[in-house]
Amino acid sequence: MKRKNNGTSFTRGRRRGPALAVAVLLTGVLGLTACGSGSGAEKPAGDSGPVTLELWDTDTRPERTENLKKLISMFEEKNPSIKVNYLGLPTDSYMQKISTAIATKATPDIITPKASDISALVAQKALAPLDDKFQSGGWNDKISPAMTQSSKAAAPDGKLYLTPATSLADVIYYRSDFYKNAGLSAPTSWDDFYAAADKLTDKSAGKFGYTLRGGNGFFSQFVQMVYPQAGVDKFFREDGTSTLDDPAVIAAAQDYVDLYGKDTAESDLTADFKTMVAQFGAGGAAMLSHSIGSYPTHVAALGADKVAAVAPFPSKSGKSILTGRMTTGFAMFEASKHKEAAWKFLEYTMSTEGNSFWAQKSGYLPGNLEVAKEAWVTDNPAMQTSIKAVDNKDAVVLEQPFYLPEFNSITTTDMLPDWQRVLQNQLSVKDFLTQSAVKLTKAQQKYMKK
Amino acid sequence: MTVITPNRPGRLTQPEANARLRRLYPYFLIGPAAILTLVFLVYPVGSVFYYSLQNSNVTQPWNDGFAGMDNFVALGQDPLFWRSLTFTLQWVVVEVGLQFIFGLALALLINKTFVGRAIARSLVFSPWAVSGILTTTIWILIYNPSTGVGRYLADIGIGEYGVSLLSGSGTTFWAVVLAEMWKGIPFFAILILADLQSVSLELYESADVDGAGTWRKFLSITWPHIRQAVVVAGLLRAVWEFNNVDLLYTLTGGGPAGATTTLPLYVAQTAIHDRDFGYGSALTVVAFLILTFFSLVYLRITKSKEDDK
Repeated sequence: MKRKNNGTSFTRGRRRGPALAVAVLLTGVLGLTACGSGSGAEKPAGDSGPVTLELWDTDTRPERTENLKKLISMFEEKNPSIKVNYLGLPTDSYMQKISTAIATKATPDIITPKASDISALVAQKALAPLDDKFQSGGWNDKISPAMTQSSKAAAPDGKLYLTPATSLADVIYYRSDFYKNAGLSAPTSWDDFYAAADKLTDKSAGKFGYTLRGGNGFFSQFVQMVYPQAGVDKFFREDGTSTLDDPAVIAAAQDYVDLYGKDTAESDLTADFKTMVAQFGAGGAAMLSHSIGSYPTHVAALGADKVAAVAPFPSKSGKSILTGRMTTGFAMFEASKHKEAAWKFLEYTMSTEGNSFWAQKSGYLPGNLEVAKEAWVTDNPAMQTSIKAVDNKDAVVLEQPFYLPEFNSITTTDMLPDWQRVLQNQLSVKDFLTQSAVKLTKAQQKYMKK
Repeated sequence: MTVITPNRPGRLTQPEANARLRRLYPYFLIGPAAILTLVFLVYPVGSVFYYSLQNSNVTQPWNDGFAGMDNFVALGQDPLFWRSLTFTLQWVVVEVGLQFIFGLALALLINKTFVGRAIARSLVFSPWAVSGILTTTIWILIYNPSTGVGRYLADIGIGEYGVSLLSGSGTTFWAVVLAEMWKGIPFFAILILADLQSVSLELYESADVDGAGTWRKFLSITWPHIRQAVVVAGLLRAVWEFNNVDLLYTLTGGGPAGATTTLPLYVAQTAIHDRDFGYGSALTVVAFLILTFFSLVYLRITKSKEDDK
């Protein structure tokens, strides 16, 4: 018996089969898409009702995370209508996540960028300028003008994007117990420093006078140890040429490089921050260059009685150059739908209460001028060293050119391998600095033309 | 009486429709996989080719736009590219060669019958089960000058304090080779052992009767059996070692002085750290072409040898 056509036959002309297949597959894809977008549902715009802010932190050391969460809870207590969600990003790859968020228009409300990140974020028009809010809120009178200036200097357009909540400053840490045992007094000059590094080195016992940063992040330590010694207070001359090839800088750099292998461990060739701190904490190194921010870490490892700090010394000509005065604060994304609420949080981090807590717990210099007078600041030797250095009217702050878009890639991808060649005696200090100066000059002059 | 409904022009009969459904059925089955492949493989690879022809640097968006072959021209004049490419080839040859030799030796060893063989096999395979990041953490601790093996050797008068194998100009390469071998050897051993277990013992007994020595038995019986496994393992390891980023990035960061920077690591530095996606994509395209070329040559050579037999 032949089967009847019951009306469910397919239309030859329309070719429903492939169409059905595509429909089924598209449904699957749409299902996947729906799954993907489910968690990203937008909250209502406007700041009138309860608001939830998203905060991304770029420095996720456990103690800092704990302190930032505490700061958030203090803020939420004062502002019950605002909730802040914390998200910690991997410290060594946070920019990847941020770049993706910018590209996909999924940025949070608040971020904690480093000064060196500002240029890249501003170039992408990702951050909101804060100048008007800062001005109208009267913060000009409450916050250190030097920090505000430093924060603005990090941006290519000179605007304020990063709240000047706190600041770092470079110091040289030394083991006061080692100094005492060796009959040395606190160093006051570069000659003292080099002599002490030599005297405190005992290779046969695994003790070295200094730990030199040969690996990631070397440039900060290089600047800290070379520019003050050279007495050069600018990164670029008036015509935009880099001062890296200045004869005084080359001579000071040579002194610094000569420490390697003689008064430092050979493994310092690849030493990064963690390695240096571990070596200092384990008694393998008597001196270490870093910012005031690591003081709590050293005290936790060694005890306050064994750690002392001095600011980088004046040059032989008597000039005092201050380095590492890098503002650390909070910034707001331009795409934030809750700018008023986000600004409230940013203001809280600069207020007496918020700034006092945050700066103290971070070990950073407070931006709030009232907080800077509090006892915990005056009791911290690393901070006092930095504050006294600023009090010197002849001191000049050396600003690193974070505003240059190429600055990060030049000082890491390009310069780090060559720096390690210098330490291995495969490249002369002069050639290294001359070649690097050409790259920085090119970047600066391009910036000046714009 | 059977009433036959006349077919209207353009309509399929039921059997025709069923036949069409049967023809389409495989496409329904592979459809989801095909779409996922398109979305997660073809599109990303295509976009890398697209960006390789663009200026795309998120720190300098004002320069973004069509670059033509500029990125590839710059690449030809980039000493870091040539240095990383040379190191990559050296890295792949040494790693795959040593992993094969030690993997084969271990597989032959643990294929024999002896007391504690199960434990020995577990020990041999265990590094393969350890995650990449954990592997590097273990080796970082071993090489750490303050707390690692070097420190304890110096305590007993062997070597000096403050020296790390990862920082020495002549030792870094072999230090990272050793760490990667530790993880890679079990892979060869597992695949070769699996084939070794399929070789009939009677073949060896016959060879013994014929008076064949150990080397002759290996060449005439063992090697033909494991040859295909060695080809597959060699190709896979070569591709993986070429693309190795995690171990080198974590152990040395490509240093010191760029001495351990592979091409993929240079890509990561360019695209992720420097955020220059245009140039990073051009580097990736070149790496892709190199890998494709060598894979085809390798398969061609091994296939023609197979055909000769």
